[in-house]
Amino acid sequence: MPEVPRDVRAFIQKLQETGDVAVVDREVTWDLELGAIGRRVAEADGPAVWFRHIQDYPGHSIFANPIATWRRAAVALGLAPDVPIPTIYETYSSRENNPIPPRTVSDAPCKEIVLTGDDVDINALPAPMVHEGDGGRYIGTWCIVASRALDSDWLNWGTYRFMVHNERTLTGWPLPTSHFGKVLQEQYVPRNIPMPVSIAIGADPASHLAATSTTRIGREEAALAGALAGRPIDVIRCHTNDLSVPATSEIVIEGEVLPDQIAQEGPYGEYPGFRSGEMGRGVLFRVAAITHRRNPIWTMDCTGVKDCSSIVTALGGGIGIRRSLERHGIPVTMVYVPPEGAIHMVVVGIRRGQGGPDVARRTLEALTARRVYMSKIIMVDEDVDVFNMGEVIHALSTKCHPVRGVHVVTYDGRAQTLTPYYNPDERSRRAGATMLFDATWPPGLRAEDTPVPTTFQGTFSEELKQHVLANWKSYGL
Amino acid sequence: MAHEYECFVRNFSDLQEGSTVVLTLRSLSPGRRKYNARVVRARVSRLVEAGSDTLWARCMVGAKDPQPWSVQVIDELGPTVSGQPYSDIFDAMERLAPDARAGD
Repeated sequence: MPEVPRDVRAFIQKLQETGDVAVVDREVTWDLELGAIGRRVAEADGPAVWFRHIQDYPGHSIFANPIATWRRAAVALGLAPDVPIPTIYETYSSRENNPIPPRTVSDAPCKEIVLTGDDVDINALPAPMVHEGDGGRYIGTWCIVASRALDSDWLNWGTYRFMVHNERTLTGWPLPTSHFGKVLQEQYVPRNIPMPVSIAIGADPASHLAATSTTRIGREEAALAGALAGRPIDVIRCHTNDLSVPATSEIVIEGEVLPDQIAQEGPYGEYPGFRSGEMGRGVLFRVAAITHRRNPIWTMDCTGVKDCSSIVTALGGGIGIRRSLERHGIPVTMVYVPPEGAIHMVVVGIRRGQGGPDVARRTLEALTARRVYMSKIIMVDEDVDVFNMGEVIHALSTKCHPVRGVHVVTYDGRAQTLTPYYNPDERSRRAGATMLFDATWPPGLRAEDTPVPTTFQGTFSEELKQHVLANWKSYGL
Repeated sequence: MAHEYECFVRNFSDLQEGSTVVLTLRSLSPGRRKYNARVVRARVSRLVEAGSDTLWARCMVGAKDPQPWSVQVIDELGPTVSGQPYSDIFDAMERLAPDARAGD
């Protein structure tokens, strides 16, 4: 199995070899300048950026947009950066089925510096102010948030946003419908007890990929990280609680989410590419300890269009959607969540001759049964390459009937409230809608009625195609 | 020494001339503690005189009111307010200002 980077430093080194990271040695300020640079680079499909000198924070550096391109996702999985996207999908999907439990170690570089009690000061950490107008300095944008259910040993790793409130307090917004949010609301708040939480920053890329994955409650992301890395992930117990985080983490912030205190959280410029007014309904995290490596490397996602979220959700989320559709008996061939859709759109390929309104409605129901991210589903026949947006747009434009081919479902209690077009009332009720565009030929369509694609592949005999291909160079083309 | 702050409001109209409100005040003083926040009961006015503390208001999408307020802190209410996770911070702050009225 290819060598998967063992920590963020090995990941950066590999990206330097492949030309996928830019190193900024000039000092930059954490207050908006760093965010502006990271945003511009991301929008230009540029490399990751390692800011080695942060004003006010000597000895700290920030690694921005770690996995915001398919090339960097490939490197994170130990692949060559230029492998086709389907290869990245296949690699992730095949490894995902072989979970490898983590290995607990007793010492790690993230314990080189241990700060507790009066030494705890969040302002001693280079949390960036990412976008002008954000509610605060977001310290958690590419992080692993560890928490545990009260009624089991299940350790949850997730990626949730957290910002600085003051020197000893963070506020955050794990989605209320997330695993974290459900455990907090269903188990800790009714008992009025704080929930231990640890935030790990700058871990190995496989652990970060696992933390951003779509897994069902009870499945340990640490074991998924091992599956993706092809080896057990070393984890280490936190200093002030019994949670475990990747031992390769650069920084670990330990504390607890309080059941009875809140403070302002957000707004934040999020992955849809907008800051859409979702703020003020977060959680409060009281910091008990900070441990870190000497000269720690912080990881952050300059959130917005073409950020890390769009790639990792395209990857793990796309595979998760495919599995869900298969469980529901949908004749799916391939699924793609295009990064340009900012986690609002999914393209679903359907087996030849098995599309049509019934499958469309069942697909819509399957993808809106639980918490909903996708508000646009494009269903295509399997001869359309779901990874080719040109082919998808062609199919949508020419095969989706504006009346018969559009299906809509509405729901309460499970919409993604970061979606920019929802109004405040919809956000408060988590009410939303999803539409499916059926760009498949309906089943039972007679051969004599099925339009023939006037393409090189679709219109000409095999004999003629082979003749043309064999003589291609002789045409001078 | 005059300080500069910002706050977030549900609606810009939630701030009225001479009113007393409960706000999360965010420091804009340069340095590592910039953007640290605390909850206060304060009186606001559009009259910004030399030496008074300045307050900038932002709405929930982060857009900034181009016109500043002057702010006078009446009570320090601590860093946090009572409330359960995911409850509305604006509602919680309003409950701390039962007597806050325009023109107070």
